[in-house]
Amino acid sequence: MAEKLLEIKNLKQYFNIGKANEVRAVDDISFDIYKGETLGLVGESGCGKSTTGRSIIRLYDATDGDVFYEGENVHGKKSKQDLKKFNRKMQMIFQDPYASLNQRMKVMDIIAEGIDIHGLAKNSTERKKMVYDLLETVGLNKEHANRYPHEFSGGQRQRLGIARALAVDPDFIIADEPISALDVSIQAQVVNLLKELQQEKGLTFLFIAHDLSMVKYISDRIGVMYFGKLVELAPAEELYNNPLHPYTQSLLSAIPLPDPNYERNRIRKSYDPAIHKYTEADDVRMREISPGHFVQCSEREFESIKSASVSK
Amino acid sequence: MTQKIDKIPELPKGSFERITLDAHQAERITKPSVSFWQDAWYRIRKNKGALFSIVLFGLIVIMAFLGPVISPYAPNAQTITHANLPPKIPVIEKLGILDGVGTLGGKEVDLYEMKNVEVNYWFGTDGLGRDMFSRVWKGTQVSLFIAFVAAAIDMLIGVIYGGISGYFGGRVDDFMQRVVEILTGIPNLVVVILFILIMDPGILAIIIALTITGWTGMSRVVRGQVLKYKSQEFVLAARTLGASDTRIIWKHLMPNVLGVIIINTMFTIPSAIFFEAFLSFIGLGLQAPDASLGTLINDGYALIQFAPHILAFPAILLSLIMIAFNLIGDGLRDALDPKMKD
Amino acid sequence: MEKILQVKNLELSFNTQGGEVKAIRGVNFDLNKGETLAIVGESGSGKSVTTKSIMRLLPESSAEFKNGEILFGGRDLTKLSDKEMQKIRGKEISMIFQDPMTSLNPTMPIGRQLTEPLLKHQKISKNEAKKVAIDLLRMVGMPKPELRMKQYPHQFSGGQRQRIVIAISLACNPKILIADEPTTALDVTIQAQILELMKDLQKKIDTSIIFITHDLGVVANVADRVAVMYGGKIVEIGTVDEIFYNPQHPYTWGLLSSMPSLDTEDAKLYAIPGTPPDLLDPPKGDAFALRSEYALKIDMEQNPPFFKVSDTHSAATWLLHPDAPQVEPPLTVIERMKKFPGSRYYEGGAV
Repeated sequence: MAEKLLEIKNLKQYFNIGKANEVRAVDDISFDIYKGETLGLVGESGCGKSTTGRSIIRLYDATDGDVFYEGENVHGKKSKQDLKKFNRKMQMIFQDPYASLNQRMKVMDIIAEGIDIHGLAKNSTERKKMVYDLLETVGLNKEHANRYPHEFSGGQRQRLGIARALAVDPDFIIADEPISALDVSIQAQVVNLLKELQQEKGLTFLFIAHDLSMVKYISDRIGVMYFGKLVELAPAEELYNNPLHPYTQSLLSAIPLPDPNYERNRIRKSYDPAIHKYTEADDVRMREISPGHFVQCSEREFESIKSASVSK
Repeated sequence: MTQKIDKIPELPKGSFERITLDAHQAERITKPSVSFWQDAWYRIRKNKGALFSIVLFGLIVIMAFLGPVISPYAPNAQTITHANLPPKIPVIEKLGILDGVGTLGGKEVDLYEMKNVEVNYWFGTDGLGRDMFSRVWKGTQVSLFIAFVAAAIDMLIGVIYGGISGYFGGRVDDFMQRVVEILTGIPNLVVVILFILIMDPGILAIIIALTITGWTGMSRVVRGQVLKYKSQEFVLAARTLGASDTRIIWKHLMPNVLGVIIINTMFTIPSAIFFEAFLSFIGLGLQAPDASLGTLINDGYALIQFAPHILAFPAILLSLIMIAFNLIGDGLRDALDPKMKD
Repeated sequence: MEKILQVKNLELSFNTQGGEVKAIRGVNFDLNKGETLAIVGESGSGKSVTTKSIMRLLPESSAEFKNGEILFGGRDLTKLSDKEMQKIRGKEISMIFQDPMTSLNPTMPIGRQLTEPLLKHQKISKNEAKKVAIDLLRMVGMPKPELRMKQYPHQFSGGQRQRIVIAISLACNPKILIADEPTTALDVTIQAQILELMKDLQKKIDTSIIFITHDLGVVANVADRVAVMYGGKIVEIGTVDEIFYNPQHPYTWGLLSSMPSLDTEDAKLYAIPGTPPDLLDPPKGDAFALRSEYALKIDMEQNPPFFKVSDTHSAATWLLHPDAPQVEPPLTVIERMKKFPGSRYYEGGAV
């Protein structure tokens, strides 16, 4: 049985609490991330997937709920040292290849930042070597260390961001829409790199994206978010072949695939949250329909979904 | 429909051999590496106006120090008999200008001859027979000193205030900005006058008067930049790596804000010089016999009909300095414009 | 098929500080009446620049037509004055852009933005224009159009704004609609709605569409014909089935294989190595060769001409020259070709 690396329990991230423009970006979600897996998190804009990632890594202090990393809570009152410990274990790759690197710094310093902060190199020679090794790992050249971010293409900059995250030797990386801003052919380069790194270093990934085909390719399990809530969580194949939540079904039916015959016959399902007809009395939560496949539903819905899948 | 070829092109043998390419080559960057500052310098160099202004300003600064030294007369030394002499420069006088000729009672008269003055006053003399050349350069020195010190203090206070306000945000920011709003709401001149009345007029008083509310402009600009950059992903990345607030401010925010700080300072200086000149002009500035460009202009204004040169030289110099700084500031703004590469 | 637009040998360069950037290096295509032509390519391929050249929206101070013509309604658009182009823009040829946030004027109520082209191009009264505008909003699926006419862009969602933009562009029943990545910034479900809307409107108004995108899924959904651009040129052009099921250019292969399909499973995604060419100094041969494992010696020397694959399908690659060796495309491409009668790998009996 795989080990749990992270346990997210009832995470809530609200902004502008109490004011007219209160936003419940993440509204009570719970899930686990196992060691060595890639968990994909998908949803459309405003669903809270990016906020979830940032809350897990404590870029925001959670409004409520806990995030346990190897049993230790990331949130709550923590000393600077404790927080620094987490920084070495959890890292993040960002979406915007232009804004995620400091334009004024040389690549050498950008990648070495984590090394400098945590004192991982004894002297500047070792520091240099570590940076060169990291550059090679991500498929770039030593010479690139003396250059500035603006001299690189989008795909190369994303790789620099990956090198920077790897510098502290983390176990867990949150990839927040790392390929959304890249051209199609470059996306494949970056995705292949991430997969390679995962194999070589035994990394665990939380892959946040809205490109569903790519997410399915890279993820072991996928969670679907809708307006701050997790509505479905299942192994990747299972989710695509057997989506149970009507929102997931609607989402999947809207994806255009590069196949004209498929497109001519594709029928889109639309989703209206009102169809659930939830009342105050309904206990709406994630329930396991089949092993590993969770759907957010009420008791009533649970029964009908379960019987439907049995009869299949 | 599309460009059709009529004839299949004949090609030499071996053209269709497959070749293997080194994918690593594909990652090479061939253009020379250039940092943001190098690139900015390159762009400034191409801006003729800015370049000329830098040179001009350099010359003015040099003269401000050399002027009083090379002149045989001290700036405050009076020779009453030599009062109100027009400028006379040995070589140029042959061209008919700056030859010591002024109007007296409607007629053009060589005043040097008339008053039996053997020596040349390059910029002429003022009402008390003081050498304008050394006075003007000494005045420039004083004005520049006041302006630079005022700009430096503005910058210091403005950067720290705006930086803290922007970086910490929330209620700290709200409070600090309300203070700024109150300060900018009070008419600047009123504050200055009150200050000068309390303190003895002099260089210190003027500097304090200039800086008491002058820093708000810089703080606003710095706060804006800090707010813009602090939520950018590279700052978030630094935070996830474990960077402390100090590190983020110094290594990440400051270098990006520096451009704006420099530009703002470039524009602060001319407005400080002008404001000092204005204060002196209305009598709140330096007191006699100290010279600054403002006091000189004030002195010269009274005699504008008879001895225009007393006003002309400081006025021209003041204008040159201000134009130069504005051109340099414009040039810097274009050169440091972040839109260029992003 | 009636041709409504013909672009012939178009070459356009930008005169920049660094030199001449050859953004378009010889583009040829036609647009037939009533069809949707998709132009696919990545950043720097020249697809946006091509359509902006058709609309003459590029800054005249730096963009220069080096060669070629754009024939529309019997005239060459490259030679028209700006005043003459103004009569065409919004009326005969309309354009919609990617970002609905910035396509609309935030300080003007949308009603005015809708009536603007109507009043400019047609001789109708303000009241009539208002009526037409309300109808347009209804046509693009906007509920309560009379109320919404007075609202400002910020009061609408991204998808709604894009609908308004589409309404504005179709106000004068243009012959051609150029859509430059209209759904790239939208969520998948909103994208699907907008694409459905566009296809629906195309039938109603009988307009021809040039659709620019980098998303091959969207192309498969909307296009009748597809032109693939790379490095300022079209490298392959054909019907949508020909391009997706019988592609011939290595770049098209690369694009199709770098996207995970439902069958890819754990196989490594084919990634095109390297980056697109620098158009300040474009290579003299085939611009894609440096990144292709199918490169031939001749690719380094000469640019390939277009080779005919069928009446509707051509590709500019030396691999189609009769003397060129037979190469095996990537596995995913072979899987596609297996379904296409007429391709080398067709399984399924006689053609």
